[in-house]
Amino acid sequence: MAEPGLAATQFGGGAVTLAHKKLMRKGLAMFAALIALVIVLFPVYAILVGSFETTTTLFSGNYYWLPHDPTLANYTAVFNEQTGHIVTSLIVGVGTALLALVVAVPAAYALSKYRLRVTVILVSALIIAQIVPSIVLATSLFIVFHWVHLLNTYPGLILADGTYAIPFAILVLRAFFFGLPNELLYAAKADGATEWQTFRLVVIPLGRSAIVTVAVFAFLAGWGDFIFALTVLNGSGIEPITLGIYTYLGNYSTDWGAVMAAAAVALIPAGVLLVVAQRYIASGLTAGAVKG
Amino acid sequence: MNTEVETDPTPARSQAATASHGAGGRPTEPPRRMSARRKERLAAWLFLTPAIAYLLFAFALPIVYNVLLSFENVTPATLSHFFSPWAGFSNYSFILNDPTSREAIVRTLLFTVGSLAGQFVIGFALALLFTTTFPGRTFARSLIIVPWLVPLIVSGVIFKFLFQFQGGAINQLLMDVGLASKPIDWLDDPQISFWTILIANIWLGIPFFTMLLYSALQDIPEEIKEAAAIDGAGVWQRLRLVIIPMILPVIEVTFLLGFVFTVKVFDLVIGLTGGGPANATQLITTWSYNLSFQVFSFGEGAALNNVLLVLAMICAPIYLWLSRDSLRRSSGVAR
Repeated sequence: MAEPGLAATQFGGGAVTLAHKKLMRKGLAMFAALIALVIVLFPVYAILVGSFETTTTLFSGNYYWLPHDPTLANYTAVFNEQTGHIVTSLIVGVGTALLALVVAVPAAYALSKYRLRVTVILVSALIIAQIVPSIVLATSLFIVFHWVHLLNTYPGLILADGTYAIPFAILVLRAFFFGLPNELLYAAKADGATEWQTFRLVVIPLGRSAIVTVAVFAFLAGWGDFIFALTVLNGSGIEPITLGIYTYLGNYSTDWGAVMAAAAVALIPAGVLLVVAQRYIASGLTAGAVKG
Repeated sequence: MNTEVETDPTPARSQAATASHGAGGRPTEPPRRMSARRKERLAAWLFLTPAIAYLLFAFALPIVYNVLLSFENVTPATLSHFFSPWAGFSNYSFILNDPTSREAIVRTLLFTVGSLAGQFVIGFALALLFTTTFPGRTFARSLIIVPWLVPLIVSGVIFKFLFQFQGGAINQLLMDVGLASKPIDWLDDPQISFWTILIANIWLGIPFFTMLLYSALQDIPEEIKEAAAIDGAGVWQRLRLVIIPMILPVIEVTFLLGFVFTVKVFDLVIGLTGGGPANATQLITTWSYNLSFQVFSFGEGAALNNVLLVLAMICAPIYLWLSRDSLRRSSGVAR
């Protein structure tokens, strides 16, 4: 079975079966990949199909694999009830991304290009921070925020959501900055640039792709956050879409059509980013794993 | 990749830098001006200030305060104060004697082990699949990460929809292909619901395991796989004796991160079962949420949080050890 290509050219007789075998293997791999994709993507498919179904269909006690009697009623309902929540989620997502950049980009630069004794301690702290479960932070932050009047505010929620993004962002950016050629930094300083100018005019432009990756992830973290929305908001006023979906879940009578349409809306940023920023997402997914 | 080599700026370069400062008309040792070195140091600390402030406020303070809370008797009446009456170890003894808390701790462990096993087997199989060439491979690989981009609460909610007793896709499929004669009560049968959250969570982790293991498999030189094949190693032997040992470091990292991720799972279970039926799917996270935010026993919730924190921190030394090379590294221009 070794080197089917070689065998095929050398031994004319065996060529048909070997080529045949190779084709079969490809076909089998394709089939297996197709099954895997169907299973992995089915829940997302079900959201999209469900979001167009009528309440009658959804409560018929029968699952329809293909759209049955499609309607836009769920989306009309969601846009009537959830537009404010969508805007809230956008503000929180953008806010989390901005916070992550402001905190992480300079820190990552300092931790990669300056030799400081504190680097070991800070990088260790960042690695450990990634381990801390959000519920631990949420419980304390609820009371701390109560005390400093950040409960039920955008800054409070964004500061809490930053815990998902900031340690990750610093570690990813730091790994990236290691690769920046020092010559450019020397050159800038030799030309009389201050530390800040070097950072702003050399490091940031060169780090653009990693900065975009980190911003995309921070946005998705803020957009998709549920646990902090559930704890540091008290349900009046500020309410992101994740919380909106959760409150749609009644104990006995869930309006599944509305839930599915709201869920579909919640998928939009990830979908858009998957299309326009796919390379950033793929690199970010693996970048988190001890690389730098 | 000049990162390792240039840990020290060459003497010529630093002299050039000092010289240029000198050429700019600055005296070398003015009493009131900072030296270049001190300036760099100050700049580094200023660059680090936001991050240090953030880490102290959003991580250190809540963790320390959580320890404090776990020794206090927090009631809705005392919530508006930063400190509540001292309670000694009573919150911890509550946790140890409360059957739901104890079950949640054991269940979290089972859930973690089960999830990691399932995610590894499926993720590894898919990673191997993606190393073979077939039409549409790149497309399939880019789509496999989709579940990982879905907000976790949305995943929980959609699984609740799919696992419904009546009209749920999963029961319908099982009955249509003859694997079940009657619908399974995935969500309301306490004997079954643990499997429901486990299946959903395994699904959730597949992209992560697949991507990490796939990137490791790709790094194995083709010659090594071919050499093993020529030496007559079968598929299973190649896997066990060549491939797995070669990617073992990545497998370790993947399990480590998978563990960290799984002990934290919250949104998925809240959306899917809400910890029910009859607390049969409460994990440490969901039960802690319940204690703190539903019955307002923040002290008990904090005590359970600390159990979770200790559990999660088991892997901190391993994580740090695996990252040991990057901890001290700097490729800097500054001293």
